[in-house]
Amino acid sequence: MNWNLFVTELVAGIAHGSVYALIALGYSMVYGILKLLNFAHGDIYMVGSFIGFGIITVFGGAESLTVSVWVLLFVMFFCAMLGGGLLGVMIERFAYRRLRNAPRIAPLITALGVSFFLENAAQLVLGAQYQSYDSYGWHNGELWVKGFTLPAGVHVGIAQVIVVVGTIVLVVGLTLFVRNTQLGKAMRATSFDREAAAMMGIDVDRVIVATFFIGSALAGAAGVFNGLAYQQVWPYMGFVAGLYAFIAAVVGGIGNLPGAVLGGLLIGLAQSFSIGYISSQFSDAVVFAILIAVMLVRPSGLLGRAAVSKV
Amino acid sequence: MSTGPTDPNAPRVGVDEWVASHEQRRTRRAGVLGVLERELTRLPHPAFYLAFGIAAAIVPAVTSDGYVIKVGLDTLLYMLLALGLNITVGYAGLLDLGYAAFYGFAAYGYAMLASPKFGLHWDTLAVIPVVVAATVLLGFLVALPSRRLVGDYLAIVTLFFGELFYTVYQNGEHMSLLGFTGSRDVTGGPNGIPNIDQFNIFGARIGELNYKAYFYVALVFFMVLLFAMYLVDRSRTGRAWKSLREDPLAAELMGMPVNRLKLIAFACGAGIAGLAGTVFAAANTAVFATEFDFTSGLLIIVYAMLILGGAGSLGGVILGALVVNVSLEVLRDPGHATWVFYTLIAATLVARMRPWRWLVAVIAGTVGFGFAVHAIVSAVWPRGVHGEAAVGGVLGSGLGHWVVLPSNPMTIGNVAFICLVLAVLVLTLLRGWVQKLAMIPTLYLAVFVWENRLVVEPSVTRLILVGVILIVLMNARPQGLLGTSRVEIV
Amino acid sequence: MQLLELRGISKSFGGLKVISQLDLHVDEGEIVSVIGPNGAGKTTLFNLVTGVYAPDEGDILLGSESLVGLEPHEITARGVARTFQTLRLFLNMTVKENVMAAAYSHTRAGILRSVLRTPGMRREERDIERLAEEKLSFFGQRLIGYRWDQPAFSLSYANRRRLEIARATATSARLLLLDEPAAGMNPVETQEIAELIGRLREEGGYTILVIEHDMHVVEGISDRVVALDHGVKIAEGSFDGVATNPRVVEAYLGTAAAATK
Repeated sequence: MNWNLFVTELVAGIAHGSVYALIALGYSMVYGILKLLNFAHGDIYMVGSFIGFGIITVFGGAESLTVSVWVLLFVMFFCAMLGGGLLGVMIERFAYRRLRNAPRIAPLITALGVSFFLENAAQLVLGAQYQSYDSYGWHNGELWVKGFTLPAGVHVGIAQVIVVVGTIVLVVGLTLFVRNTQLGKAMRATSFDREAAAMMGIDVDRVIVATFFIGSALAGAAGVFNGLAYQQVWPYMGFVAGLYAFIAAVVGGIGNLPGAVLGGLLIGLAQSFSIGYISSQFSDAVVFAILIAVMLVRPSGLLGRAAVSKV
Repeated sequence: MSTGPTDPNAPRVGVDEWVASHEQRRTRRAGVLGVLERELTRLPHPAFYLAFGIAAAIVPAVTSDGYVIKVGLDTLLYMLLALGLNITVGYAGLLDLGYAAFYGFAAYGYAMLASPKFGLHWDTLAVIPVVVAATVLLGFLVALPSRRLVGDYLAIVTLFFGELFYTVYQNGEHMSLLGFTGSRDVTGGPNGIPNIDQFNIFGARIGELNYKAYFYVALVFFMVLLFAMYLVDRSRTGRAWKSLREDPLAAELMGMPVNRLKLIAFACGAGIAGLAGTVFAAANTAVFATEFDFTSGLLIIVYAMLILGGAGSLGGVILGALVVNVSLEVLRDPGHATWVFYTLIAATLVARMRPWRWLVAVIAGTVGFGFAVHAIVSAVWPRGVHGEAAVGGVLGSGLGHWVVLPSNPMTIGNVAFICLVLAVLVLTLLRGWVQKLAMIPTLYLAVFVWENRLVVEPSVTRLILVGVILIVLMNARPQGLLGTSRVEIV
Repeated sequence: MQLLELRGISKSFGGLKVISQLDLHVDEGEIVSVIGPNGAGKTTLFNLVTGVYAPDEGDILLGSESLVGLEPHEITARGVARTFQTLRLFLNMTVKENVMAAAYSHTRAGILRSVLRTPGMRREERDIERLAEEKLSFFGQRLIGYRWDQPAFSLSYANRRRLEIARATATSARLLLLDEPAAGMNPVETQEIAELIGRLREEGGYTILVIEHDMHVVEGISDRVVALDHGVKIAEGSFDGVATNPRVVEAYLGTAAAATK
């Protein structure tokens, strides 16, 4: 048994899965509240990634950073999360708000339109070529050289640790927020029954804005994580990652936050192991097969609750 | 029907029929226009379809411009695609986001059976039915696991299926069966499949790149299917599909097998895409997977056509495809595009701004504002006005004195683009004279962004436009131009 | 002769037992009313019979055939049709199209024959159209003539309820399940509905199971009344017998009222 390959793919899967989990959380949160699949969510992740890239450039570029790695990371995360959150709020306000009570096809098509618009606007403004965080070049790659070695001889760099630990921190933070704060409880109430929540005095608009902000901020953070660990950013990266994160959210149970995390990890691992053991072509097919299997056996997702609607 | 004021069931003044026809009396237009409108609404729809067919058939006869005919062919192919998608989305309410995959599957299928790729050169009359049948079967297979899925889930599954298709075909030059068999070149990978056989119908062989012939083939296919769809619309299955779209639970409980109907709608839509795919492959003589990828915009463009025309409406399919594709083609050439851009802005302002003194004020304000800005910039930063307008002639030189055209417009144009988006969004929040006032710098900014960035990158601009069309349409007029008032996805 | 029989039907949603060991039967040609306070499980009962939900235990028989496990459209094809508590018309379709659509289960023309317009298909279309006109004319002048081509959303509330009943009859059902057919109607319209239900049985030969809250209607039309509360049958019999049954009074008005009876 080739442990080296196994552990390498395991590490890659967990890291990738963390990124997917963060994006999936945003999808799940918005779907839980609005029953809307926000196709543009993946593009918010892309914008977050580009914001991080911009910060690197502002601080001198990958090879000649003017600040320490930790300062850089802090500023990147702050800006990406803030920027992502604001973008999400803007999209909700201008594209989706009027369609809250329209037939479901309307916001879905609008989301498609927003997604397409963002991808091509990014291509116009930022160019179609791939950019790179080049985190290997930051202060001589200290984030990759430092790290620890796993039993199977696989080296794990601090960059990857940051991704996983950062995700855990954000997820725990989100869970605490949703469970313990007024706003968090309002969010849960609104996702159960929007009308009833409004009648109980909850400002539904504010809750929805907050949901979009938090979900989009997580996507922005995911964008920086991705750049940190996998380097590449380009305008259409949001579409691909968004698709996988979608599937993760659906597999885990859409509207269900622990499910989104579980789904993200599952999809990330499935992808990694497929690439490592079969081929990268078939990794898509494997993920598709998992999706179909879950849809057939447990349509509400692994951790989801089937909604019973009154006829 | 018994008459007389004592009959309790007869229509009474102020009630029922009188009220119903009162609405009609109020909305009728007077004079010639009124008569025209009444007669037009009385014509059965097939009359319009026939008129379109005749008009389209005349086009290649009156023009020998190969470009125009190619655009016409593309438009007809889009119409076919929109027609098929109309069944899936417009009639059955199933949001199929992988629709482009059926198109590509059929195009590749035709290419594999009628090209030097595998040495197969099947007869046209054999390939087309086989490919269409295979696409229908594929549609069935995709729809089958989706039977029990709520609409959103179907959207995801189909979207992923579409991307899966692209990945497989794009990397298909090293395909092996899970590593067991050797690696074979199945789809040509990024190089696609070239040298596709041309149509050969009953001995009449179409020459390569004879777009005119393919135009007529596509037109015939489209007209036949259009009339077929019209007949289905007025049949048992059409009523069932429409009921399914309206309220699937009620439809099921009124005896209509909803799941089976969904499958059939999906498969029919796929089949039509399949037919279009064969024409596409033969006319273009080569297929590449990148043409069916999400990022190519094919899917989004077809959706935009469908939505603009009005999902569920057959006439809307024609209108939507025409408007969108012609607009996109016009956008390819900077000169034409610029004329259209300014005309559109002018038209929107004229249509939306009443009373007209506002219109005059805003236009005058924008023009004045522009000259002022131009003067200031040329005084302070000469390089800011050394660039050239994209369109030539009088308009171009006029613009050169009005719009700020930096000699190096990239960065400032990009920033201006972002500012423009924000400005437009803010504009939607304002009201009254404040909004009119804010329109002036926004309009000028729009012209600036157009001249400096958008018009010089037409391939991206057209895709941005499609995205904007979808967003604006869904917010302003979700039923499109000719659609029924609500289409719900199931 | 029994047309519909429920034997020992139970249904729970999560932890909530909505229907518990219910036995019910409707004889051919009978009009049976189901009454009970809100939440008693009446609409769930309809949903079970029409196949929207599957019962946890028990059996549902139409004639001698079990309906459990069948898809809803199969159950409708076997002769059971219903209306809905909250109207569920096909609002963007015309009045006539709504009724014609319901004829699907007993017609056969497929897509191919529709496109080719075979003589068989055309004949069937004419039959469907005539069937729709016939079913709509059952309601007097209200849903005929120019009304046929009007979209359903243009109808008044009372006419929409009538259209829903007409649509249900077009499925060529033998058993009609009417869920609160008089809800939201004024006294004149309510009286019309009550007469209509009687005519459906007399002229149409339908067997009818009605959920209704308006006791005047229940009194006027029912051969038999069944009272449910919290998913359990608490009384059955003639209207007078059920209306004065202390358990029924208690369910609607509380124990104090029952005590004063």
